[in-house]
Amino acid sequence: MMDKEYILKEGLLEKFLLDDLTSDEAKAVGLAISNDADLKQQFLQLEADFERMALENAIAPPTRVKEKLQKSLETNTDNESIPKTWLWLAAGLALLFALTTFWMYSKWQSAQNTLDTLQNQTVVMQERLDLLEENYELTNNRLQIINSPNTIPFVLTGNEKAKDSRAVAYVNHNNKLVVVNPRGLPVLPQNQTYQMWSDVDGEMINMGLLPTDKDLVTLKYIDHAESLNITIEPAGGNDHPTVEQLISYVTL
Amino acid sequence: MRAFVRNYTGNSSLDEQELLFIISLTLMLPHQIEDTEIIQRIVNKDKDALYLLYDKYSGALFGVILRICQNQELAEDVLQETFLKIWEKIESYNPDKGKFYTWSYRIAKNRALNALRKSDRLIQNEDLSVLKDKSETEDNFDLKTLNGALSKLEPHHQEAISLVYFRGYTHREANEEMGVPLGTFKSYVRQAIQLLRESYKIGMVFVLWLMEVIS
Repeated sequence: MMDKEYILKEGLLEKFLLDDLTSDEAKAVGLAISNDADLKQQFLQLEADFERMALENAIAPPTRVKEKLQKSLETNTDNESIPKTWLWLAAGLALLFALTTFWMYSKWQSAQNTLDTLQNQTVVMQERLDLLEENYELTNNRLQIINSPNTIPFVLTGNEKAKDSRAVAYVNHNNKLVVVNPRGLPVLPQNQTYQMWSDVDGEMINMGLLPTDKDLVTLKYIDHAESLNITIEPAGGNDHPTVEQLISYVTL
Repeated sequence: MRAFVRNYTGNSSLDEQELLFIISLTLMLPHQIEDTEIIQRIVNKDKDALYLLYDKYSGALFGVILRICQNQELAEDVLQETFLKIWEKIESYNPDKGKFYTWSYRIAKNRALNALRKSDRLIQNEDLSVLKDKSETEDNFDLKTLNGALSKLEPHHQEAISLVYFRGYTHREANEEMGVPLGTFKSYVRQAIQLLRESYKIGMVFVLWLMEVIS
């Protein structure tokens, strides 16, 4: 530590106050002052004397200096407040982003639901379309069969046993096809059914059953048939026709 | 008052000088506390507190700055810079190491000397406009005239203090300026400080006498 006598003799307190020491010297003198009460008192006294002397020799600066200082500090403060503004802006943007994200998420979710529904509906529609196409094809085939110039329609009207009965048979000899519309036949009890027969040289040959709930029924084509005959038979059909139950026939 | 201090400190053997020192410190205390509080407010970025210190010390600091710069415009800029520096660096001020005024004086002096060095460089670069402004002050102060206790001292004592305190000279530069050996110059400074102290002490004794008379 620097010697107190040396400090006082060399006027280092004054030089310390005036900032006229190297940094090492200043450190040493500062340490000596804080460790020696008397030196500290002397330094305090020196500071007080110099301050008083400075106040006695004060020169009032023009007011514009203070105004410039204030202006400069206000501007600095404004600059400091800019990051705060940015911070608020960033926070606002973040909130907006969060809200937008949430909104987008819910939109996406609802779009996803709609899409799922649409997909389900599409599947149903597809199934229905397939069904319709199938039906259309069937109907179209039948129409072609019926409309073909080689098809001959025969109307089978009922006899006394079934006066209101009426069926239409479409026969195509080229394609060897027989299709019957049984809609005009009265509905039978559950234990009975209509059955159609071809007459070949006096022998009745089975062509198939005629369920009344179908629009068109395709039956077996029998070569050299002379007439078509409808009988009422027990449910499930019969091997031989019950002649008593013949309700209609038509000659080909 | 003396009796009070002797009684209060419980030390009746205090000599006159110690007693005066304690009393003067006691009288300075409210002023010191006030500064500490204001400084704390500046640390907390209270600009109004800075303006309070400006009102209190800008005159004393401008007296130093203007005497160093010898140029009104330059000195005004330096004064503003000094207070901006105080604003920025207030946290590095340590009251245990000295008074606020001493700290701000050092800042003012260093900034003034730097500004002067810069403007001298401009003059060397033959910028005559700066040269023309030199030594012109707004109210035509005679910067050589000193006031207060300092003005009552012998001219060589006045000059010694003026050079180191108000002109920013180092001891070495100042003794060359005065044309005396360094040792002589140092004793001029020491004597001047002693004389100033005595002069202020007489003032203090007068104040104390006045207080005793009043009480």
